[in-house]
Amino acid sequence: MSLSRHTLLVFTGRLIVLVVILLGAELGVRYGLLSQLFFSSPSQIADAFRIQLAQGTLLSNIGITVFETLLGLVVGSLAGIAVGLVLPQMRTLSRVIEPFLMVLNGIPVIVIAPLFILWLGLGLLSKIGVSVYIVFFAMFIPVYTASLRLEHTLVDALRVMGANRWQIFWKVVVPSSMPSVYTGLKIGSGLALIGAVIGEFVASRSGLGHMILYASGTLDTPTLYLGIIALAVFAGILSLTIDAMGPLLVRWRFFDEK
Amino acid sequence: MLEFRNVSFNFAGRRNGVEVLHDVSFACRADEIVAVIGPSGCGKSTLLSLANGLRKPSAGKVILDGKPVDGPSRLIGMLFQQSTLLPWRSVVENVELGLEIRGEPKDSRRDKAVTLMRQYGLSGFERKYPHALSGGMQKRAALAQTLAMGPEVLLLDEPFAALDAQTRVVIENDVVKICRAGKRSMVLVTHDIAEAISMADRVVVLTRRPATVKETFEIPFSRDAKSVADVPGMPEFTTYFRRIWDALDISVTGMDNAA
Repeated sequence: MSLSRHTLLVFTGRLIVLVVILLGAELGVRYGLLSQLFFSSPSQIADAFRIQLAQGTLLSNIGITVFETLLGLVVGSLAGIAVGLVLPQMRTLSRVIEPFLMVLNGIPVIVIAPLFILWLGLGLLSKIGVSVYIVFFAMFIPVYTASLRLEHTLVDALRVMGANRWQIFWKVVVPSSMPSVYTGLKIGSGLALIGAVIGEFVASRSGLGHMILYASGTLDTPTLYLGIIALAVFAGILSLTIDAMGPLLVRWRFFDEK
Repeated sequence: MLEFRNVSFNFAGRRNGVEVLHDVSFACRADEIVAVIGPSGCGKSTLLSLANGLRKPSAGKVILDGKPVDGPSRLIGMLFQQSTLLPWRSVVENVELGLEIRGEPKDSRRDKAVTLMRQYGLSGFERKYPHALSGGMQKRAALAQTLAMGPEVLLLDEPFAALDAQTRVVIENDVVKICRAGKRSMVLVTHDIAEAISMADRVVVLTRRPATVKETFEIPFSRDAKSVADVPGMPEFTTYFRRIWDALDISVTGMDNAA
């Protein structure tokens, strides 16, 4: 009873905050308290939304950024999982290339993006490239660390039962990396979007990043806010989707029974 | 019969490495339970890793039924101190794991696992994950997993150390019964003198590192006991406890010296 009252209070509080922000922006801009150059009222943003929707530009820009992000997330994650799992199996090779990977990971993605534009052009491919690049490390590092710190007793137990390296890899190494894959997906999903938008910021002809940058350059403040809101909504949906994948990837962490 | 024949083991290291075991010899016949007891860190667990095939002796041989042990064997099963159940598999999937590794078809290995689980009081927990089981039930599941492969020799590396006292006696008793019923050999590594006397036909006492066999005690009465819980109440128990304690030569004056 008290829990539901508490929850109700929290939701009411959130609703109040939202209404205050929207109402404050609407009235502030309408009565000249907030400069139209820096702020837009919700009604102005709604107008921009209607216009862009009618022109078809909003949906195509959203679609492009969503496509780049999802492809970056999928390809980067798969590559990160594969390298993170296989590399620890080859001790010498892993020790040779580990410092190179760590240095690459340390380079800010914003300075890597121009390289991808140079290599892959102004189109979607370069944005996907940037996205893959940062997602790869977000996935590789937790998976790699987990496979290095594998529970040794489990491996010994399987070896005593006669398991070969292949069986140990599939029955112990891969499943025990799943919590790290889940972590990697959580971090990587946010970074995938950042990678795509950074790519669009550096040089592009379409996408939400391009729309925001163009709106900023032409002092079209409502469209700028519209782009940010669209990105925020997509980021929220993506994050909720990844959270919902937890019980699929690491069911044993969520339930008592298979 | 499992036999340690003049077994020595060095951990590889600078120059000659560290000698852990030195010229250890003893045998464990079929239908016999041998407990190995020794000071902490003396190499008891290393001894088992030579028998289960994960390590090779630096000198000497471990021999099973006349053939040297050369790598893991389906005739040798092991129960570890820590839980070795895979947390992402249900209990029944864990119990059938050894058979799965061996390539047994799904239906027949599942049948065997379910049957074993029924025998060991794990019915109804087939679909549970290991973390949902008590420590004692996890041990039973691990035991069922080992026995599913039908080993002739059971190696136990202090498997009951983490259990509470009551659960422990019940499982010790089960293990002894299972071992006797199947005419299996069992080598139990422990640091618990009472456990060694209660379960074993013979207690091998090792020295400090490099460990070698210091003394062997035949325990003629443990086999006659109805339950391992009855052994500590038997008149001979105290005598053997004292003799083994003396052989272990544990210094209990450490605190005084430190002060």
